[in-house]
Amino acid sequence: MPHFAVSAVGVDRPGIVAAVTGILVGQGCNLEDTSMSILRGHFAMMLLIAGPDGTKAEELEAALTATAGDLDLVLTVRAIDDTVPVSLQGETWTVSVYGADRPGIVYEVTKLLADAGANVVDLTTRVIGGADRPLYAMLLDVTLPPGVNGGDVRDRLDGLAGSLGVDCSMHPADADVL
Amino acid sequence: MAVRPVLSLPAPVLKQAAASVGRIDDAARALATDLIDTMRASPACVGLAAPQIGVSQRAFVIDVTGHKKAVSCHGEVVLFDPEVMLAHAPEVAREGCMSVPDYTGDVVRATRLVVRGFDVDGRDRVLHVDAFEARAVQHEIDHLDGMLFLDRVSSHHSVFRRKTYR
Repeated sequence: MPHFAVSAVGVDRPGIVAAVTGILVGQGCNLEDTSMSILRGHFAMMLLIAGPDGTKAEELEAALTATAGDLDLVLTVRAIDDTVPVSLQGETWTVSVYGADRPGIVYEVTKLLADAGANVVDLTTRVIGGADRPLYAMLLDVTLPPGVNGGDVRDRLDGLAGSLGVDCSMHPADADVL
Repeated sequence: MAVRPVLSLPAPVLKQAAASVGRIDDAARALATDLIDTMRASPACVGLAAPQIGVSQRAFVIDVTGHKKAVSCHGEVVLFDPEVMLAHAPEVAREGCMSVPDYTGDVVRATRLVVRGFDVDGRDRVLHVDAFEARAVQHEIDHLDGMLFLDRVSSHHSVFRRKTYR
């Protein structure tokens, strides 16, 4: 079955998920991994779906745009490779960074992590607090490849946080399989 | 003596409350042996409950020997008809389950526990466990009640992909 990446963003209101997924079901598609959340009052959907053989991305996008038009969503559909790539394996660590909002926090932190060989597997950022004193909060799960010492990465992250004027913490988050 | 296949979701037996074992007879002892053999067949496995090998009876095995998060350690323990007598000092930690492929989740468990049950000779056994051993016991007892860690996660933000993806 061909696979597609579907994205949809629009001002949040009840019924967006039902509208979009209803169209996909009608087209014979099956939802696989998805992530959907409200981002600053906008509902953002990222869906990886499988469609029946012969499905075309343009036709799927046209069907979604026609029916979900009332919801004023920005929609895209792209064909993707059917094979599931395997991400970097290693230890899982959770990182949190927070402080006064300023440009470049995500870039500086993820650049340091990338240079250390860490792979970001999940990342969420939020601007919280009042407009007069916005606080930036970022939460990440990262995978460290074998041979990379989490404590060393944490020390470097502490140094960076100091120079950015933000706080950060990093701790192992490997699960115990029982 | 047999290594049995470990069932994973959506096997219905994993969502059933298991029956009490009652008298510890040869059949119960054979079940204990299968649980131990199956646990030993997976080097990373520190515990297994009977429903995970398709037997809806209240029995589990644990062994946290050598685990880095273990404080109390009673070695290899088989308990039939276990009951939690006392549980306190809750703590959140991330756990996974051999019966739930791909996912792990943050689950609150008591870090100090008194549990009572019967051993393979039918003798009453009371264990005081803490830290990782307490978590393992609670995870296994949950299996006997048809509960999985997915039923315990505090929110969907507490559920994560396991390291190996498919």
